[in-house]
Amino acid sequence: MTGFCWLASYPKSGNTWLRLALQSLINGGKEVDFRSRETFAAIAASRADLEDVLDAPVDEMTDDEAEALRPRLYETQARAAAAPLFRKVHDACMTTYAGEPLFPPALTLKTVYIVRDPRDVAVSLAHHTGRDLDQTIAFMGDPAATFGLAGKRQLRQVLSTWSFHVESWLRDGPELLLLRYEHMLAAPEEVLGRVALHLRLDASPMDVRRAAAATRFDRLRAAEDRYGFRESPAAGVRFFRRGIAGGWRDSLTPAQVARIVANHGPVMARLGYA
Amino acid sequence: MPLPELPPWRGAEGGTPEIEVRLGNVPDQLPDIIHRGPILQIGGDGSCRYNMAGVACFLIEGGRRITVRPHMAADAPDVRLFLLGSVFGLLCHQRGWLPLHACCVEIGGRAIAFAGPSGIGKSTLAASFVRQGYRLLADDVTVIDAHAPGGPLVIPAIGRIKLWRDTLDALKISADGLEPCRNRMEKFQVPVGGRFQLTRLPLTAIHLLDRVSDERQAELLPLVGLQAVETLLGAVYRRQAGERMGKRPQMLRAIHRLLTVPILALRYAQGLSHLQQTVYRMAARYEGRGE
Repeated sequence: MTGFCWLASYPKSGNTWLRLALQSLINGGKEVDFRSRETFAAIAASRADLEDVLDAPVDEMTDDEAEALRPRLYETQARAAAAPLFRKVHDACMTTYAGEPLFPPALTLKTVYIVRDPRDVAVSLAHHTGRDLDQTIAFMGDPAATFGLAGKRQLRQVLSTWSFHVESWLRDGPELLLLRYEHMLAAPEEVLGRVALHLRLDASPMDVRRAAAATRFDRLRAAEDRYGFRESPAAGVRFFRRGIAGGWRDSLTPAQVARIVANHGPVMARLGYA
Repeated sequence: MPLPELPPWRGAEGGTPEIEVRLGNVPDQLPDIIHRGPILQIGGDGSCRYNMAGVACFLIEGGRRITVRPHMAADAPDVRLFLLGSVFGLLCHQRGWLPLHACCVEIGGRAIAFAGPSGIGKSTLAASFVRQGYRLLADDVTVIDAHAPGGPLVIPAIGRIKLWRDTLDALKISADGLEPCRNRMEKFQVPVGGRFQLTRLPLTAIHLLDRVSDERQAELLPLVGLQAVETLLGAVYRRQAGERMGKRPQMLRAIHRLLTVPILALRYAQGLSHLQQTVYRMAARYEGRGE
């Protein structure tokens, strides 16, 4: 019997980057091989897990029914595992259709939540989904927004609004460490060290330094150029694009910025993005 | 309970039924339980209890008896959806039949199967074949008697295709009057009527479907040996449940028999026009018109 470490974030906020850094870290700071299928922290909303572990007929189930079974999935997996389980999460921290927490606190060892300036998220998300900026800004302000239906490999994930997402995790995420994308970018070694400590990973300062160097944004970009990246949304669409903070300044119109601030001002202020 | 998806019995009067489905009580817990999950329980005698919250609970025994305790109106399509899907799949494992996650059509008097995971396009492919005049044996689960004396046989059962509304729209099939698979689900049952193949047919080829992003990557290539075995095992419907029931050796023996027919990887490009081309190419191949 063990439990879960949730690596949670709104999409396009540095989750994959953190996972690659942790993958490198547990391998002693080795470069991440983009050709390998090894993934550190698979998606928590895995359709295959629900089918394989619980014999759930996901094809025939509604999204709400499948979601209501996810706490059962995590219970079963935690019971069977000997070591902590790491999962990537894009869902908001919420209750299921059946009224229980989607991520059971009793099964949660640690949570890491990554937050990024929503103005940069909008630009990155628009690029990732192929939607235009105005649609993306509307999506980030939509209480009913969901993610992850493409290809049906992932179960539906309720994001709700960017603000709701952030606040849900800050309020209800058990054993939570809050990270800022901007901080990861500016001081990767320091941030990775804090994450390793929080998750109680057995890593030396040397491992942390190596892993931070091996997963610098330009190194990941170069690896994607060479081998492609399996999580890129479509052929020819980059996953690792710019990796900068404040890129929204040359991508968003003043009206678009104003809409994001109108939707998310209070949470932005709380996190220092005002 | 009415099961309009199944064709009426045309055999001799008064015979003993092979499979009984009846309404009744299902115990909360099976005796000598060997697996207990939130949906599936397996008893020491191999019986299965399959519970879908809000829909129905099913007891499947001896590969012959299914007891249904509905949690909603017994004649709701939701109950039949699970009965004719997962529950029949478990019954197949009990009987020693191999359920493949595949659609199957008749071409030139032979059964041709197309297997693959959910969302890969099995039902859409089946609908395209039926539209071209070919007969349907299965749209989602192809049941195979691998040990039939003359070689593997496909056992047809359900004369309908389940299609999402966007697929209906793309194929220009009207959803008017079609029964939804479930209340408030945008997936519909499309009956195939006279295009249903009523009798068993020899299985002649199995294709493992895979989508490619570019038409130039489309290809058909034979799978042999361990690769074929692994791919087929991965395509067994409700395989994990079958393994929990201790049926892995039985599945492997059945798959070993399937290796007597060609097993092919069929990689095709996304989009309806590519799908139509696949239908033409496959029809030509199996009607002996060359490719």
